[in-house]
Amino acid sequence: MVYYLIVCRSLTYAQRTAAVLERVGIAARLMRSPRIIAGDGCGYCVKLSERNLAAALTALARQGLSPKRVFLQNGDGSFREVGL
Amino acid sequence: MIYLDSAATTLQKPQQVARATAWAVNHLSTPGRGSHPAAARAAQIAYHCRTLAGDLFDCPPEQVVFTFNATHGLNIAIKSLVPPGGRVVISGYEHNAVTRPLYGLGARVAVAEAPLFDSEEMLRAFEHLIVPGTDAVICTQVSNVFGFVLPIEKIAQLCRWRGVPLIVDASQSAGVLPLSLRETEAAFVAMPGHKGLYGPQGTGLLLCGQEGAIPLLEGGTGSASAQPEMPDVLPDRLEAGTHNMAGIAGLLEGLRFVRRTGLSKIRTYEEDLTAAAAARLSRIAGVEVFYGGHGIQSGVLSFRMMGLDCESVGEALSTRGIAVRAGLHCAPLAHRTVGTFDTGTVRVSFSAFNTRKEVELLAREVALLARQRGFEKSDAGCK
Repeated sequence: MVYYLIVCRSLTYAQRTAAVLERVGIAARLMRSPRIIAGDGCGYCVKLSERNLAAALTALARQGLSPKRVFLQNGDGSFREVGL
Repeated sequence: MIYLDSAATTLQKPQQVARATAWAVNHLSTPGRGSHPAAARAAQIAYHCRTLAGDLFDCPPEQVVFTFNATHGLNIAIKSLVPPGGRVVISGYEHNAVTRPLYGLGARVAVAEAPLFDSEEMLRAFEHLIVPGTDAVICTQVSNVFGFVLPIEKIAQLCRWRGVPLIVDASQSAGVLPLSLRETEAAFVAMPGHKGLYGPQGTGLLLCGQEGAIPLLEGGTGSASAQPEMPDVLPDRLEAGTHNMAGIAGLLEGLRFVRRTGLSKIRTYEEDLTAAAAARLSRIAGVEVFYGGHGIQSGVLSFRMMGLDCESVGEALSTRGIAVRAGLHCAPLAHRTVGTFDTGTVRVSFSAFNTRKEVELLAREVALLARQRGFEKSDAGCK
């Protein structure tokens, strides 16, 4: 399976991001960012399925929430940053 | 005990508060410190608390910062906005939580003075003093000594027009009076969790209307750990160290109580108790009551007894099972403004859990005290 990880500026932003997505019917899982993509150190991200990214970004933009970074997680566990 | 000291701390809380606080001790660790269930539960409780507070004060959850009390929040706000020697305008009803940090900074403080319960004069005083070069305006929404409700929305409007950041001390108003961070555009609003929000001691909230606050504490936040400096994002920037999760879990239940009950109902109820107390006490010979009326005074009432030291009154009432607060109430400026600095006052303050019967008993005991001092028999219920 391929997933997207929306890296957030803080735990609270990640919680708000997950809440916004759940309100519009997008399954979103809050989790700690894998160390390899965490950049500045410990952080949180929201994981969602590949097909929901576009709708998720639209919903977040409506709420004034801008992801810090977005990564694609491949089936083999590797990550690739996605340009927004 | 009849507890009439809610302006210091509400002692009677919704039963869910103690339950949640006790539960938290063994079930919650710290938000942002792991993905295990105890950390995840803590993160969820903290987020619910921020969200509920954000709903109550009209701001997004990330602008809600947990503090240890209102003084902590005020110190962050003041030290973020006021440089050493800076110019600040404050009301004549501020608490030491405002005046002492300003003194420590060597700030040049202009005091907006107005007679007690005179909102229009208070607004005029601020209008006169907010001049170019003012670093900040600091104003309490309600006086902790006299219950005077200051015209905070109009003062906020004045600050917006003049481009001066506003710090609101909501210590006595949070959970009783409405306040919108979005509409006031205040730079900061500080409040305790343990008064009108019915949380445990050791909790407080700082609502941040602007970025760039200077942390009082620096340390671990569970985020951006590789950076040498504190994260620039709220609330992490101002929340170094382990959270008081037991307190936050209790505060969440307090906030839920306030939402269930409704600000308007709480305010009306407390104002009615205040009016009843003022009416009863003012009929007692030798008692001077500071009462302004509905709308201009919240659930805080001060009085003095002729020929009797306020601390003696407080002690005498305490021995009769009535808890009040006497003295200067950590607000000598307010007493100077009103002219009660030399005597202090006796303060009674209400919560949603007080009753009319308790007001009657207070009046009866004060009347007895007055009679013992040789004043005429009054009709306050004294036999």
